[in-house]
Amino acid sequence: MNPTRSIQTELSGPEAAGITMGRLQEIYPGARRALFKRYHIGGCSSCGFLPDETLAAVLARHQNPPLAEVLAHLVASQEQDVAMEMDPPEAASRMKQGEKVRLLDIRTREEWEATRIPGAEFVNQALVQSLMGAEGRQGLLVFYDHLGKSSLDAAAYFWGHGHENARSLRGGIDAWALQVDPSIPRYRLEASS
Amino acid sequence: MSSELESKIASTLGRLENMGEMSDADAVGTVGNADCGDMLRVWIKFKEENGRKVIDRASFQSFGCETAIAAAHLAMALIKGKSPAEALALQGEEFAAELGPLPPTRIHCTQLVEGALRSALSEGQVAPAGATAPARAEPDPPMPGLSDALARNETGTGGVKVVFLKPGETAS
Repeated sequence: MNPTRSIQTELSGPEAAGITMGRLQEIYPGARRALFKRYHIGGCSSCGFLPDETLAAVLARHQNPPLAEVLAHLVASQEQDVAMEMDPPEAASRMKQGEKVRLLDIRTREEWEATRIPGAEFVNQALVQSLMGAEGRQGLLVFYDHLGKSSLDAAAYFWGHGHENARSLRGGIDAWALQVDPSIPRYRLEASS
Repeated sequence: MSSELESKIASTLGRLENMGEMSDADAVGTVGNADCGDMLRVWIKFKEENGRKVIDRASFQSFGCETAIAAAHLAMALIKGKSPAEALALQGEEFAAELGPLPPTRIHCTQLVEGALRSALSEGQVAPAGATAPARAEPDPPMPGLSDALARNETGTGGVKVVFLKPGETAS
């Protein structure tokens, strides 16, 4: 289902005020980032929220901005996020055509050492500082994680700093393995003992 | 947030300048709360003017809220041409004066800017005018979204075990 349509459906109507923060983040994983950016909600223990709190209750604790305005902001933010995503076949195609595409891996070191997309770079602080300079403005930056859940935050961070060439790989390396390169082993994560 | 404040912030964000790392900075300052997401780093370049050292250029990086970013942008312009002492004498609310009165929940956004400048301009951080950027031994600031990933990548492990899937298994 189109994610924008999904969030628009759930956030329309009077029942939207009763949506829990857990459900909101389920239908829109970038909700916390969007709320923090505009309303300073959800960043830390003093401005955070619990999954079972309703959106209305959370807004009431934060100067109670108009619900309609907040919902419109969430929908618009979701649309921006969608625009920042790139499907694996498109990224692969652009690389194949010779375009400069940097695949940036933000997963854990264990995942990186277990499997990776050929040609990808492991993201650390030094690389981030380098990308923030002129180097990062050359070519397309495609961040990826395991399933495409947190790489959008990385892309949004760079986008927010003027890197309009930052993208998130939709579905992560798992989608790449399914749609582009079946030689990459798929995996799941467990807590290490 | 009032519509007037929101409008002023939007206007400020629409003309952002001085963002990003300055490769030839003379001073660097970092401040912020990684948990809250308000992290700010500033770079400052000095010059000699009529026998006194003044701020020639200043730039910043931030992943704070829009208010923090707007305040940082205004501060970078405000301190230009000031000596380190004059810049240090500025108060948090002065940086965001153009935005008008801030609600209580946003006051710390300007304090963040003040703290970052204090970090950059405090004794020991400032190299003589004309010197290259000082090498910093401290770690780079973590950032929301990237913070966890970067922190664990620096320390070596993410505390997870990778289990390869068998046919028919799902990754999530």
